[in-house]
This record gives sequence, structure tokens and C-alpha cells, in this order.
Amino acid sequence: MGIFIHKINCISPQQTWGDIDIQTLRAAEENRLYAREPVYDGIPPGILRRMGRAVRMGVGCALPLMKDSSPDGIIIGTSNGGMEDCIKFLNQIMDYEEGMLTPGNFVQSTANATAAQLGLMTANRNYNITHVHRGLAFENALLDAMMWLKENPGHNLLLEGLDEISNYNYNIDYLDGWYKDGNVQNKDLYATETKGTIAGEGAAAFIVNNNREQAIAEVKSVRTIHTNNEADLKSFLRRFLDEQISGEIIDVLVSGENGDSRYAHYYKAVEALLPDSMVVRYKHMFGEFGAGSALALWLACRQGAFPHHSIKRAMPHTAGSILIYNSYKEWQHGFILLKRMDPENS
Amino acid sequence: MEKEQLKLQLKQQIIQFLNLTNVKPEDIKDDEPLFGEGLGLDSIDSIELIVLLSREYGINIQDPKEGRKILVDINTMVDYIVEHRTK
Repeated sequence: MGIFIHKINCISPQQTWGDIDIQTLRAAEENRLYAREPVYDGIPPGILRRMGRAVRMGVGCALPLMKDSSPDGIIIGTSNGGMEDCIKFLNQIMDYEEGMLTPGNFVQSTANATAAQLGLMTANRNYNITHVHRGLAFENALLDAMMWLKENPGHNLLLEGLDEISNYNYNIDYLDGWYKDGNVQNKDLYATETKGTIAGEGAAAFIVNNNREQAIAEVKSVRTIHTNNEADLKSFLRRFLDEQISGEIIDVLVSGENGDSRYAHYYKAVEALLPDSMVVRYKHMFGEFGAGSALALWLACRQGAFPHHSIKRAMPHTAGSILIYNSYKEWQHGFILLKRMDPENS
Repeated sequence: MEKEQLKLQLKQQIIQFLNLTNVKPEDIKDDEPLFGEGLGLDSIDSIELIVLLSREYGINIQDPKEGRKILVDINTMVDYIVEHRTK
């Protein structure tokens, strides 16, 4: 049995907060999709001023859900955590020759700063953990949530995925060939036939439990694999689908295709195994980052139609069963299988 | 440097070091307590201020008791800086 998603929140480069409007596609700036951060009313100014972007987004996104739900655990997936503060701190060590260092950057730079801050702010002393498996950080957080709820039925968890764009880290990844040369508009991301992608950031938070009633989605399974072999990936997916859906079709494939010509073959291979599925893409909306599949899950859970600009292959059926596939830096591949539910009738 | 000039410079540095984005130098009164009431700083800020004094003025505060007397308000900090600065 899977787990059920009851509440969702998302801070992203698109209008996913407040008056949500994801039909209008917001443009990238110099190959970076920066999050549109809301006014964080729930965070005291004295605490807010110390937070870096990742912590701010993570706390700001999760806090409203936690206030209503008092979760019995906090599970977060982040590839890099507060990378900008981390690099500032490392630079200080160099600049001041390992002398006196400011504590703020250090406190904010640890990957578990968001989960810790949420625990402190809400006096939540329950299970509190952060998964940092790069491009599979959120998938592992989700897996942890599923296992924890299996052992502890009848409880709520806060599950969240987040990452920030760090300009320092962007330059390192750019030099390593992960981002595109020249200025690429995100609306044209999939039409490019060059290496690299565009950077993104954001946070998506979920209240999950094993109560079917009034759930908006059920996460049925999550699987991950490390490989750079397309044949291995295909046989892995075939086995996964045989076990999970045995002959039924997947209504929608939410694909993490990112415009990187070197690795597009993985996405094409997955699409080819699901010829009857609608195909939806999201990296032109949110950009590429380690915990990006959290935002894909948010998109998949939302009721109603997918944004027109996200649809690669249209199909007449409505979104019931959804498979999220994301690949990160060639080696890491994650699959999340879920079923969208009608909260009125579930 | 004139004391008044030093006060303004110190206020600007405090705003920068502590990321007090909504505070302007003129909002910080010279005799207003830095901690608790007034500016409302806390224990992590006190360490940031000690680092500020070390980096900007070459003052190393080793004894926490000494720090409590110095980090009271802008006036006490400036008086200490004038007397002990090494850069």
C-alpha cells in the first residue's frame, strides 16, 4: 500500500503560490529560473533575516501546512541545501585564514538547516531527517516517508523537496558542462539540440499519511536506479511497470526532460515504453535541480488540466495514474508512480 | 575619524553583518540597547558583532564578560573601538 497526499504547497519560478497561474510561463534570466518568493508572513523577521534562499523557501513553503497538520515527522530531500551560504562560509575560511568566522553562514549552510529550523519554529521534536542523495534526494525522502508510515500508521508527515540556485555552484556546474552556452529561453528549452540545460530552484511540501479519505493523490511506489546504460533503464522500468500496473496503461508520464541533447535518449526510451500515455514536461517551468522531482509531484497532484505549454504528447484520457520520471546528471534515475484522486469522493 | 562618523560607519557595518535589511542607520539610536529591547538582537548576533570588531577594527574580545560591557549600545561600542582599535 502506498501513502496518501493531503495537502500541497509549492514555491517555484512560476506562479505556484497564492493566486496560482501556471498557464502563463515566466521566463528564465540568463539560463536560470529563479523562484518567485512570496512574502513570508509566518516567519519572524529576526529569524528570516538569517535565512538563505533554500532555507527560506523550504520553511516558507512548509510552515503553513505544518500549522494546520502538526506532523509527527519532518522528512526533507535536498541535493545541495543552502549551497550559497556553504560556499560563503568556505570562502571565509580561506579569506580569514581559518580565523574568526561568522556563525550565520555556517548554521544556514548545513543541508539539514531547513528541517531543523522547521522543528525549532514549531517545537516539533519528532522524527526529523534530511536526505541528500543528489538527484535522488527527494525520491529517497519519499521512500523514507512510505517506510515510516508503514511502521507508524495513523500519523502525519511533512515531506518536502527543495534546492536553491547558488551562483558559485552554477559556475562550477557550467564549467562541467551541465548548463547551456549562450542565452536560452526556457520556452525553447526542448527545441535546443545542444548539451546542458537551465538551472532552477524551488520547494514543494506535502502532508502525507496512510488515510485514503479526502486525499488528493496516492503515491503507490517509488523506485530508483543508478545507471548510464539505456538497456538497463528500460528493463528496470519494464519490471517496475509489470509489478505495479500489470497491463494497465499509465495515463500521464511526467517527464523530467531537460533539453540536454546528450541524455535525451533516456527520456525518449521511457516515452517509447509508454506509447499510450500523455507526456507532460516540467523543466521549462522549474529548471534543473537535484530535488526537482518534488515539484513534478506537486504538478502531478494538482487537480485539473496540465498547463498547455507542458504537454508534449496529448491523449484524450483524464489523468488518473501518473508516472514521474526524472534523470539527473546521466546516472541517477527516479520513478514515482501515483494516482490522482478526487478528494470529494475518495 | 570623528566619533560621529565612526558611529555611522559602525551602524552600516552592523546592518550589513547582521543582514538587517529593513533597518537604516538612522533607525539605530546611539543609546538604544542592542539586545533584548531596542534593536532586538540575540546571542548569535553577539558572535557576529565580535567577528565584526575583529575583522574591521582588529579588536579581539576573548572574555565574554568583557563583551557584555562593550556590546551594550552604539555609544559603548564606539568608545571601545576608539580606545582599542588596531586598524
